[in-house]
Amino acid sequence: MIEYDFLTAKDVDAALEYLHKYESIKVIAGGTDLLVDIHKESSRLEKFDYILDISNIKALQFIDETEDSVELGPLCTHTMLINSKIINKYFPFLVTAAKSIGSTQIRNRGTVGGNISNASPAADLIPPLMALNAEIELSSVNGRRLIPLDNYIVGPYKTSKNHDELVTKILIPKVDENYRFSFQKIGRRRALNIARLNLAVAAKINKKDLKIEDIRIVPGSATPFPVRFKNIEMEILNKKSNELNLEELAKKIGDEMVNITGERWSTPYKKPALGAIFKKAIIEITNSSDSDSH
Amino acid sequence: MDKIEVTLYVNNKKETLQVDPTERLLDTLRNRLKLTSVKEGCDVGECGACTVILNGEAVHSCLVLTAQVDGYEIFTTEGLEVNGKLDPLQQSFIDHQAVQCGFCTPGMLMSAKALLNKNPNPSREEIKTAIEGNLCRCTGYQQIVEAIESVTQDKKG
Repeated sequence: MIEYDFLTAKDVDAALEYLHKYESIKVIAGGTDLLVDIHKESSRLEKFDYILDISNIKALQFIDETEDSVELGPLCTHTMLINSKIINKYFPFLVTAAKSIGSTQIRNRGTVGGNISNASPAADLIPPLMALNAEIELSSVNGRRLIPLDNYIVGPYKTSKNHDELVTKILIPKVDENYRFSFQKIGRRRALNIARLNLAVAAKINKKDLKIEDIRIVPGSATPFPVRFKNIEMEILNKKSNELNLEELAKKIGDEMVNITGERWSTPYKKPALGAIFKKAIIEITNSSDSDSH
Repeated sequence: MDKIEVTLYVNNKKETLQVDPTERLLDTLRNRLKLTSVKEGCDVGECGACTVILNGEAVHSCLVLTAQVDGYEIFTTEGLEVNGKLDPLQQSFIDHQAVQCGFCTPGMLMSAKALLNKNPNPSREEIKTAIEGNLCRCTGYQQIVEAIESVTQDKKG
């Protein structure tokens, strides 16, 4: 059995003081991942002497809109994202991703900050947030820094957060109205599934000539940790959405995955499956763009 | 491991306890407060048998540390029955034969109750979503969904 002492913080400053004072400390919020790891005595759980509960810091639970961004508190639950008018308005695929997480009980308790910081290769919010160029605000007693989510996730279950830092905000830049989004997921069953594969795509399509002016493609559960598939993005950039060779691109995205991971036991399944959900995502995006232009 | 003092409001009754840092809400409710409707199933948030209503939301009590919920309101199936009278939801489960072995039933009732508290008139889809985290290996869910559906406002009216 794993033993630890319990610390609780009611505000951010108190939490940062604890993180500054103790090195061997594990932060708990919703606990939907951590308590499973503790129960299973998971080998990826590093030894810790203290658990710091931040779940009652009200100041870390918000969804705010500024002129050019949407800001999320790390203690927003998945249910809060799903119910948020702001998120539904600007980033509907983040709602789709949040709805696909676990079950009602997990969505009521699990948090955005936890989903990101646990850095599971199968985390459902990381691909869409990466496709949105989200940034993570990390705070410590020495100050704050903002880093891109791409640089925050550095390995499976690994982030670049220092031991004395706490995620205090997730900043999502707004995009213009020509952006379209798609989130796709394959799991073993509809509810409670951990993604076998997921995929987030954000694309900017010019309404007049259908040219793809920006595209961001992030598969999850496909690579050791989610990354943008920039080679595939380059293949698509500046082409017209109605002239894409989807079959060829679907094959290429599968090849790109294998370039990163090497051949694995799951490759014969995942290669065509990733291609298939990628095609579905592009069709979804281009269809929604077409219908807007009429 | 220092103990932590917490005050919980369980089924509208105030309980002040000294708990271990490792104690889960599931352990507190079952072992100390003897609320054995809260079932221990998978311990990893998959089966939903330990579901309780925590400050209005259905959650897995196996994934919450008791020390985290000082001052919270907790509702279990024991709280459904008032003065010896079953909650309409409980009666409906009986009437629709939505209970077989009964192990999943308290968790199922809690998920359904949390839904109905927020939305007295859910659609069939919303009912299914609310209980998708509660596994049942005997009924096949049909009777459970029907039992919940029959106490929605539309069906009652």
